[in-house]
Amino acid sequence: MSSGPPQSPAVAKTEVTVEGECPLLAATFAYWDNILGPRVRHIWSPRCEQPLLLSDSEVTFLANHTLNGEILRSAECGAVDVKFFVLAEKGVIIVSLIFDGELKGDKNTCALSIILPQTELAFYLPLHTVCVERLKHIIRKGRIWMQKGYNIISVLTSEIVPIMELLSSMKTHSVPDNIDIKDTLLNDDDIGDSCHEDFLHKAISSHLQTCGCSMVVGSNPDKVNKIVLTLCLFLTSAEKKCSRLCKADSSFKYDTGLFVQGLLKDSTGSFVLPFRQVLYSPYPTTHIDVDINTVKQMPPCHEHTYNQRRYMRSELSALWKAASEEDIAPDTIIHTDEFFTPDLNIFQDVMHKDTLVKSFIDEVFMLKPGLNLRSTYLAHFLLILHRKALTLLKYIEDETQKGKKPFRSLRSLKTDLDLMVEGDLNIVMAFAEKLRAGLHSFVFGKPFYTSVHERDVLMSF
Amino acid sequence: MIGSPDVVAFTKEDVFGDCVYPDPWVIPEEFSVPLFPQANNANPWAKTSYAKFTKDFILISEFSEQVGPQPLLTIPDDPKVCGTFDLNYFSLRIMSVDYQASFVGHPPGSGYPRLSFVEDSRVVLGDSKEGAFAYVHHLTLYDLEARGFVRPFCMAYVSADERKIMLQFEELSLRFSRASECLKTGNRRAFARELQRKLRDLEYTRSVLQKEEGLQREAGPQGCYSAHVVEKANELAAVEKSIYEHRDLLKQITSYPLRPRRDPHAAHCQRCVTESQTDAHSSHNAHTHPDTSPAVRGEEGERRQSYTPQLIKGKSAKCFDKRLKTLTELCQESFYDATVELLTDTERCFRGDLCYLHTRRLDRALRRKQNITNFLFEEELGEEEEEVAALGRIFCSLTHTKEAETRLHNPSIMLCPVKDMEVCTPCPASSALLSDALAGDERLELSLSDLTMETQDQESSEENKDSFSSDRSGGGDGGEKESDENVCPNADSNAITDRNADPNTDRADKESSSEDGGSSVLEDEGGEEADHTPIFLLEVEPGCGQQGGRTDSGCEPEAGMEAHPDSLVQMDTACCMSQEGFLYDSSPPVKLPGSGLGPTSLPLPLVVNQEPQAMLPFQGAYSLGSPHCQGPVAGLDLPVKSLGDTASRGSDQDSSDCTMSASAGSEQIGLPVGYRGVVTLRQRKKAGQGALKFVRQYPFALQALWSLLSGRTLVVLGSEEGRVRRLVSALALYVPGPGRCGERVQPWLSCPFSLTDLQSWKLIGLQRMASPVGTSMLCSLSRYSRYISVLDADQKTLRCPSYRGSLLANMADHRTHIRRGSTYFLHLQSMLSSLATRAFLLSFTHHLHLPIIPGEKRQEVEERRRGFLKDQLGLADDDCNVLLYLSQLITKHYLDTETTPHLEADNTSVTTHQDPESVSMPDPATGGAVSHQDPESVSMPEPATGGAVTHQDPESVSMPDPATGGAVTHQDPESVSMPDPATGGAVLSEQYLDPAKPLSATRGRNPPSFTYHYTTSQVFKI
Repeated sequence: MSSGPPQSPAVAKTEVTVEGECPLLAATFAYWDNILGPRVRHIWSPRCEQPLLLSDSEVTFLANHTLNGEILRSAECGAVDVKFFVLAEKGVIIVSLIFDGELKGDKNTCALSIILPQTELAFYLPLHTVCVERLKHIIRKGRIWMQKGYNIISVLTSEIVPIMELLSSMKTHSVPDNIDIKDTLLNDDDIGDSCHEDFLHKAISSHLQTCGCSMVVGSNPDKVNKIVLTLCLFLTSAEKKCSRLCKADSSFKYDTGLFVQGLLKDSTGSFVLPFRQVLYSPYPTTHIDVDINTVKQMPPCHEHTYNQRRYMRSELSALWKAASEEDIAPDTIIHTDEFFTPDLNIFQDVMHKDTLVKSFIDEVFMLKPGLNLRSTYLAHFLLILHRKALTLLKYIEDETQKGKKPFRSLRSLKTDLDLMVEGDLNIVMAFAEKLRAGLHSFVFGKPFYTSVHERDVLMSF
Repeated sequence: MIGSPDVVAFTKEDVFGDCVYPDPWVIPEEFSVPLFPQANNANPWAKTSYAKFTKDFILISEFSEQVGPQPLLTIPDDPKVCGTFDLNYFSLRIMSVDYQASFVGHPPGSGYPRLSFVEDSRVVLGDSKEGAFAYVHHLTLYDLEARGFVRPFCMAYVSADERKIMLQFEELSLRFSRASECLKTGNRRAFARELQRKLRDLEYTRSVLQKEEGLQREAGPQGCYSAHVVEKANELAAVEKSIYEHRDLLKQITSYPLRPRRDPHAAHCQRCVTESQTDAHSSHNAHTHPDTSPAVRGEEGERRQSYTPQLIKGKSAKCFDKRLKTLTELCQESFYDATVELLTDTERCFRGDLCYLHTRRLDRALRRKQNITNFLFEEELGEEEEEVAALGRIFCSLTHTKEAETRLHNPSIMLCPVKDMEVCTPCPASSALLSDALAGDERLELSLSDLTMETQDQESSEENKDSFSSDRSGGGDGGEKESDENVCPNADSNAITDRNADPNTDRADKESSSEDGGSSVLEDEGGEEADHTPIFLLEVEPGCGQQGGRTDSGCEPEAGMEAHPDSLVQMDTACCMSQEGFLYDSSPPVKLPGSGLGPTSLPLPLVVNQEPQAMLPFQGAYSLGSPHCQGPVAGLDLPVKSLGDTASRGSDQDSSDCTMSASAGSEQIGLPVGYRGVVTLRQRKKAGQGALKFVRQYPFALQALWSLLSGRTLVVLGSEEGRVRRLVSALALYVPGPGRCGERVQPWLSCPFSLTDLQSWKLIGLQRMASPVGTSMLCSLSRYSRYISVLDADQKTLRCPSYRGSLLANMADHRTHIRRGSTYFLHLQSMLSSLATRAFLLSFTHHLHLPIIPGEKRQEVEERRRGFLKDQLGLADDDCNVLLYLSQLITKHYLDTETTPHLEADNTSVTTHQDPESVSMPDPATGGAVSHQDPESVSMPEPATGGAVTHQDPESVSMPDPATGGAVTHQDPESVSMPDPATGGAVLSEQYLDPAKPLSATRGRNPPSFTYHYTTSQVFKI
C-alpha cells in the first residue's frame, strides 16, 4: 500500500493456526496515542491453507482507520461501542469495538477489530452478534487487566483464537439455509421410526422453549446431525446460519452464541461442557443426548439472564482481585464467590408439557412424506407460532402501556390468547423474547428476583 | 441516654468510609456489568428513551471544505423528528470517519489532474451516550470548483436501535446504494455539463486571445515581441493547457461507468454499463475524428448556439469567499428529486419497531411456502425488496427501472381501487409513489405500531372507530394520501395510471411537456452538452424507448385492472337507484378464483339468463358506480350524498365505495373489500377494530362467525348504511376465501337478491327499505332462510343455526381482555391460521379420502373423514363443518390452479346420486348429468367442468358442470350437497395430492361426496 500513516515501529504479531479455511483476514488491537495518533499494538492473523490477502502494512492502515474520528468520543467510562465498516474500495469488512482503557498510565481510546474480506459479508452478518458479544466480554476482562497494568494481549488472544476457529468451522459446517426435510426426522414414515415419539416431542418442545437454542450431543455424527437439522427446521434463516453441524471425525468445542450445535462425544462416551460458555449463551439452552434420548433444559430466560449476570460479575470481580497476572488465568472458571455460588447443575428436566408441539408432531406424520406436504405443514405451524408471539407481545404492550405499568394480567393473557397450558405459554414467550429482549424479565422477573432475594437473605442467617 | 450526635457519628461512618476509603477489592461498576440488564429502564420497550429524537430519520451531511461537516437535509424534513438532537455534532461524528484515503490531484507522471472514482463505503456506528446509531453511506460528488474536484457527502439512517440497523444492514445498504447511484449519476451529468460550458468558455477565450495576440503581433515590429505580446502568449498557453485538462476531465467522467467496479454490493445496472460503453465509444470517435460525421457536427453546432460562451481568465479563482454549490446544484434536478424520493421511501419502509418489521419478513417468507391455503384468510403477497435483491434484479434508478419496477410492485401498487387509478396521471418521477405502493400494506409494523396509538375511547366510540380520517393523519397514511392528492389533480382522465410508472419516464414526461409548452431550458441544455458528452450523461432519455414504454405499460390498464370494452354494459338507468351510463360487468373474462365453489358454482352469465330476478341485484350490485367516474354525473340523484366529495378523494376505501354502491353513506366508511382492487392488509387491520367491537357487543357473535366460517351466507340487514357497512367490513375478516378483491363480500345492496347471488356472496349488507322493493327483499330473505343467516343490525338479532363447538370459542369471546383492534386482528390472524392449518391437514391426509378397501362407498369414506375430525382432532359436529368447508375450498382452489386445462375436455360420464339425505354433485373429475327433482334444493356442480342443466324449479338453480355436462338430482330439500373438495371434488387418488402428478390420471373414478346440512335456524337477540 502506497499511502497511509507511518507504520508503528514494531507491531507484535501472533499467527494462529486454523484448520481449514478461515474467513478472517486479521484481528488487530489499536489505540489512540495522545502524541502519535492511532497506533496498532498487536495483529493476530490466521495461518491456514489459504494465504493472507492483506499485508501487515495494509492491516495496520485499516486498524488505524478504525480509530479515526474517535477523538470525539464522549461515551461513558466502560462503554464498548461497535463500529462496522464495509470498505468497498479496500474490499474488506471491519468490525471494531471501541473502548477506553489505561495504557502506560494514560487513559486511551482503544479498538479491537476483526477484518474480513467483503465477499464474506453475507456469511458474517448473521454471526455478527455472536462475535460482538463475545468480544465485548473479553474487552471487559481486558480493561481490568489494563487497569492493573498487565498485558491485555493474552486476554484478548483467549477469545480471538476461538472466534477464528468458530468462523472457520462455520465455513465448513454451518447448517444450510434450505434444509431438505428428507434429511430430518420429519421425513419418517411414521412417528417413532427413528426415535421415540416422546423424545422427539420433548426435544422440539424444549428447543422452542429455549428460544431455539440447543446443543445436541452424541456418539454417532449422523444421528446427531439428523437431530440438528430437525431442530433447525424450526429456526429462521438467519438463525440457521448461526447453527453448526457436528464434525464427523472429531468434535468442535462448544461455542457460545450459536443456536443449534452438534457435538460429538469422545471415545469414552463423554463430552465436557464448559460451564461458563454455556452460561454466557444469550438464551437458555436445551441439552439433547441422542445416545440415551434425554432432553434437559436450562431455566427460562429471566432466570438464565440473572444467573449469567451474577456469574459475569463474579468473574470480573475475581479478576479485579487477582494479585498478579499469573494469579488467575483469564479463562479460569470462577466457582465461588462470597456472594454467589453458581449452581453447576444448570440443566433440568423439561417440566412443562405443551399442546402446540404435541399436536404438530401427531399431525405432521399423518401427511404423506415425500410430497412437500410436511414442509408446508411445518410452515403453517411456524407461522402460527410467530403470529402468536406477536399477538402476545402486543397484548402485553397494550396492557402495560409499553412497559410503563407492571404487567398483572397473566391469567387473562393465557385465557384470551389460548395459552393456558404452561408449555404453550413458554414456547410463545420464547418466540416473543427473541422479538423483544427482556420480555421474560419484565413479565416474570419481579417475583423471581424477590424470591431469590428472600433466599439469599435466608441463607445469610 | 444516648444523644443524637453520638448516633449521627455512627450512621455517617459508612458513608464517609465509602467515600474516603473505597474498598480496593470491590470492583468499580465501570469495570463490571449491571446485574439487571434493564436496571435503569426496567421495561423492554424503553430502550430508546434516552435518545433525543422521536423516530428514525435520514440525515444527509457534507464535509464542506469551508465550514467542515454540516448537516444539509433530514428526511422527513420535520424539526420535531430530530427534537433536541444535535445534528451538527452528529454530522461531525459521522463525517469524521475517514472512509477512504482516496487520491485526488495530479498523480506522479501525469500532467493532468485525475478524478478519483472511489467506491462508496458503508459504516455503522453509534454514539452510546446520545443513544443514536447510524448506518452511514459515504459517497463522493464532483465539483469543478471544489478542492480536488470532490465534495464528500454522506447519507445516514439514524435510529435509536442499533440492532435494527444491523439486522437490516443488507436492505439498508441496497436502498442507499440505489439512492447514491442516482445522486452520483445526476452529479456526473451536471459535472459534465459544467465541463462542457467551461470548455466552450475556454475555447472562446482562446479564440479571443488568439485574435488579440495576432493583432498585437501585427501591430508591433517584425521579429520583436513586446512584453504585452509575451504575456498574451503565456495566457494563451495557459488556456490551451486548461482546455486539454478539461477535455481530459471530460473524458474521464464519461468513462466512469466503464471502470471496473470493486464494490460487489453496488447497485449498478448492466444496461447502463452497456449503453455507456457504446456512448463512450462514439464520444471518443467524435473527439478523435471531429470531421468524420458532418451531420453530427452540424447538429452539435446548432445546439451549441444555445449557450453563449464567456471570456474567462485562464485560472479560476479558488478562494474561501466563493460560494460552494449546493447539493441541488451539484446534481441534476430530476436525479436529485428521485434520490430524495428514494430516501423518503426508505425512511417509510424502515419506519416502526424492529419486532414488527422482523415478523413481517418472517411472515411473508412462511406464507410463500403455503400458497395452497393463502387464499383463505391472507392478503396477497407482493414482492419484497430483499427478495428482489436476492433474485439479482437490482433495478436501476436511473433510466431502466421500467420493466423491473412494473414487474415488482404491481400487486401492492393496487392499493387504491380502479377509480383512483383512473383519475391519477402517471406519477412524477415518483419513487415516492412507488414507495407508497411498495411499502403499502407491507408496512405492517409501522401500522401496527401506529395502531397502538389508538385510544380506548376511539374503540368504544362507534363513530370514531370507523373514521379512517384519524388514521390517515398518521405518518404513513398521511404521506400516502398526500401523494395521491398531489398527483391526482393533474389527472388525465383518459389514461389509466400506472402507478408504477418509471420515475424517469415521468421525468421524461415532464421534460417533454415542458418542451411542448415552449420552455426550452432543458432542451437547450441538452443541446449544448451534446457535442462531446455521451447522451446518457447529459439528460434522462426521453426517447422512444421510455416514451414507448410508458405508452405500452404505463398508459395501458394493467392486466387485472383494465376496463375491458366488453365489460362495459349499457344499462337501463331506471333499474337502479343511481348509476352512470355504464356499468361494470360483473363477469370478468377470466373466471375468478373464488367462483364456482360448492354452492356458488354457477357461472354468472348463466345466472343472468336463467334467473331474470337475479338481474336486479346484479345490476344493483355492480352498476352503481362506473369505474371511470370522476364524480357524480349530472342528473343522478344519490339518495344520501353525492359521491363526489367523499369517494373521489383518493382514499382506497372511499373509492371502493364509489364503484360498489349507488349511495355513498353519510359517513366515510372503509370497505373491507375493494372491488377490483386488492384487499390490503391495512384495510383488514382497520376492520379488526370493528371485529373486536362486534365480538364484544354481540353475545351471539360466535354464531355469526360460525355461519361465515362454515360457508353459510350471512346477510346483514339494516336501514342505516353506515352501520351495515361497518358490520360487513368487520365480518369480512371471517369470510374464508373472500377473493383477491373481496368478490365474495357485498357490502351494501339495495335490491333483492336471488339464490344465485348466494353463490357469489358469502357476506351481504342489505338495505332495509319501506317500499315494494323492501318487501320483495324481505320475501327473498324468508324464501332463502334455509341457506342464509340473517343479522339484523337494527333489531340486533341474529337468525341462524346455533353453534355447538369449541373450535371458534377463543375467536369470539365477548369477555376478552384484548383492548385494541390491532391486537385482536393479530389474534384473529393466528386463530384463522390455525383453522387453515387444520383444513390443510384434512385436505391432504391421504387415507381420509380414498377407499381403503375396494368397493368402499362414498358415505363410508365420508364417515371416516368425520370420524377423523371427531376422534383425532377432538372436534364437535359443528366444528367439523367448518373444517370440511375450508377443506373444500382448499381442494377447489388447488384444483383450479393446478388442473383447469384438463377438466375442460372431459364430457363423458354421468353421475346421479340418490342419497335421500343428500344431493349428489356431479363429480368434476368424472363428469355427470344433473337433474333437479327438488324445487328447494340447490345443486352445485363443478363449475370448472361444465355441463347442461335441466331446471325444474324456478327457485332452484342448478349448476352444471360445463366440462362434463350432466344433470344433478336433488332429492332432499333440506340439504345441499357439494362436491367433495377433498376427494371428490377431484382429489381421488394419491396423485392428486402430489402437485407433481397430473390430475387427469385419476379422472374416471366416482368420488365420494358429503352432504352439507343446513340445520334449523334459531333467533338470537340481545
